[in-house]
Amino acid sequence: MDEDIISLIRENVIQGRIAQDDEGLDGGMVGEPGVTELIEKALAKRLDIRDIINKGLTEAMTLVGQKFEQKEYYIPDMLASAEAVGAAMKLLEPHLAQSGIKPKGKVLLVTVKGDLHDIGKNIVMILLRGAGYTVKDLGHDKEPQSIVNAVRVEKPQFLGLSALLTSTMVNMRDTIQALEESGLRDKVKVIIGGAPVSEEYARSIGADGYGSDGFQALAVIESLTST
Amino acid sequence: MIRKGLAGGSYQPLTKESIAKVDQTVMRVVEEVGFEVNSEAALKLFEKAGARVDMEERRVRLPQAKVRELIGMAPPEVKLCGQEEKHDILLGGNRVYTGTGGTALYIYEPATKQTRSATLDDLKHIARLVNRLDNIHLFMLPTYPNELSIEQVDANRFFAGLDNTTKHIMGGVYTLDGVKQVLRMAEMVAGSAEKLRQRPLISMVACSISPLKLDTQYGDLVIEIARRGIPLVCPAEPLCGATSPITLAGNLVIQATDSLMGVMLAQIVKPGTPVIFGSVATNTDLRNLNYLAGSVEMGLLNAAGAQMAQFYRLPFYATGGMTDSKVLDAQSGYESAISNLLCALAGANFIHDAAGMMDFALTACYEKFVIDNEILGMVMRAVDGIKVNDDTLAFDLIKEVGPGGNFVAAKHTRRFMRREHYQPTLSDRNSREEWEAKGGRALWQNAGEKVRRLIADPRYHLPAEVRQNILSEITGIVD
Repeated sequence: MDEDIISLIRENVIQGRIAQDDEGLDGGMVGEPGVTELIEKALAKRLDIRDIINKGLTEAMTLVGQKFEQKEYYIPDMLASAEAVGAAMKLLEPHLAQSGIKPKGKVLLVTVKGDLHDIGKNIVMILLRGAGYTVKDLGHDKEPQSIVNAVRVEKPQFLGLSALLTSTMVNMRDTIQALEESGLRDKVKVIIGGAPVSEEYARSIGADGYGSDGFQALAVIESLTST
Repeated sequence: MIRKGLAGGSYQPLTKESIAKVDQTVMRVVEEVGFEVNSEAALKLFEKAGARVDMEERRVRLPQAKVRELIGMAPPEVKLCGQEEKHDILLGGNRVYTGTGGTALYIYEPATKQTRSATLDDLKHIARLVNRLDNIHLFMLPTYPNELSIEQVDANRFFAGLDNTTKHIMGGVYTLDGVKQVLRMAEMVAGSAEKLRQRPLISMVACSISPLKLDTQYGDLVIEIARRGIPLVCPAEPLCGATSPITLAGNLVIQATDSLMGVMLAQIVKPGTPVIFGSVATNTDLRNLNYLAGSVEMGLLNAAGAQMAQFYRLPFYATGGMTDSKVLDAQSGYESAISNLLCALAGANFIHDAAGMMDFALTACYEKFVIDNEILGMVMRAVDGIKVNDDTLAFDLIKEVGPGGNFVAAKHTRRFMRREHYQPTLSDRNSREEWEAKGGRALWQNAGEKVRRLIADPRYHLPAEVRQNILSEITGIVD
């Protein structure tokens, strides 16, 4: 029975169903409990939080990742699954500490000054939340100084900078410089992403990492977390 | 024989009822959802014109009657002139013209299969090439001079165009100061500001950001260009599933709303501003969100956009003719042909990007301009259709030749053969033996030879005095 709930959670994450009114990828699932209802049920039954996360959510996302690799899943499928995990984590959050699970860390995301494009950043946000990170979205077109202020107040482990335009990517460098001038540079790892930037550009402006897409961004942050 | 400005419209992906439904949804979006305007000046202009403006959210909403009134102020036809009158173009109705598009950062070289950074010299050379390609009617500045600083880009791009081709020059612009330099330069070529308005030798493009957003810089650019009375294109670039609904109908709603935003702003600045409704609509690859330039849906969306433009009685700027292929292969050919053909048959007034673009519009290729010139010749022939009258039905001739005869020597054949049948400028129609005897070359090799020949021919220069005046007055031009 307990295994059943966890396997249902896994299945519904793969279907990308947050709640019972979601139709799911295969359709026709309206009315059946979604991930949030199943998590409530699992909590009521006092199932092991570690099992819920590892066997339910994480295992499901691994399978979703494989489906994406095999070109069976598109980005919107991946996002639906990640959003379902994000919703599940929100419900599980108050119970993490007593189960001895450490939170995965906080990420601040922002599109830099002069740039109004935020689709890429928002995708990264959903994927990171789906992976269990706490994400604070600063929005778009933000001055280096206001980003620095947010880092000071929010104290994130990671700062993700996004830009779509060749004319605004230079503001990533300015933001990193502003962090250095304010003495905060070594308090936060800086990851950059967006169409015009590259691994090489990331190195040249002194960023800690570069993600060519949302999944790479997640992979980079995971690898920097373990170091 | 050069075919341009012929009437399209035989292909209609939208029924009359569908057009009405798209329009009604556009009106609801403008009235109920509104759009975000980030230019302070534009926001104030919308408010003064009677829009409901939420200054906090920078959100503009307009009632349907006002929207229709503003669209009605825009001229249904826009003239784009060349330095030679034979290149003049009258956009409107369902007349079809083609042109290059922009703005590519790289040049692909088929001999090495490598790309390199595009330079100002490339722009000059491509302008010279396009000046000689008859099925490309307008020169939109296709590449970005990567070696220049952004402050130099606008003036140098337009000078490269004006000094190397007599076709009309259209271009995207980057800075407000650049726009002012370009306008001054064009006035000097035209003779005066008034003469430039009479015969606009240049036009400019200012994009909105889909969905439903006008950024600060482009809002200000629209205002400046409209004030000067220079033809202005206001295209929108909604991408299915990313910046518009995944459905083509939903994409059309966003495209029309976003482009109308610019059209309306220009009319508020100056009623009667020559403005061109525009679409760069397409879909994305939902595995990586890559923008797609060669999809069949792009052809459908831009053909339908032409129908919406005809409905609004606005001249239309469509996007077609590109490929996502990285090389000059079969994909490159069929993708370019399909979207060009769909747009042209729908009567899209100006098909931009119709030649030379590949690899998600990031890359231009000399040989591809020549290849696409051939595709466009065939496309325009298709637009021309089949003329049926006593002369073309040729009953008398059939009677005269009779059973078992032939038509090779008939005067009728000579009279009609060039008009009725497209004359290829590049395609291979040799027998296998002849083709092998001539070296068995691929199309791109023949295209390359043509590129070298056309660029080596005597080139156009601006009149010496005008040229000198421009070089001494406008700073930063690299001659």
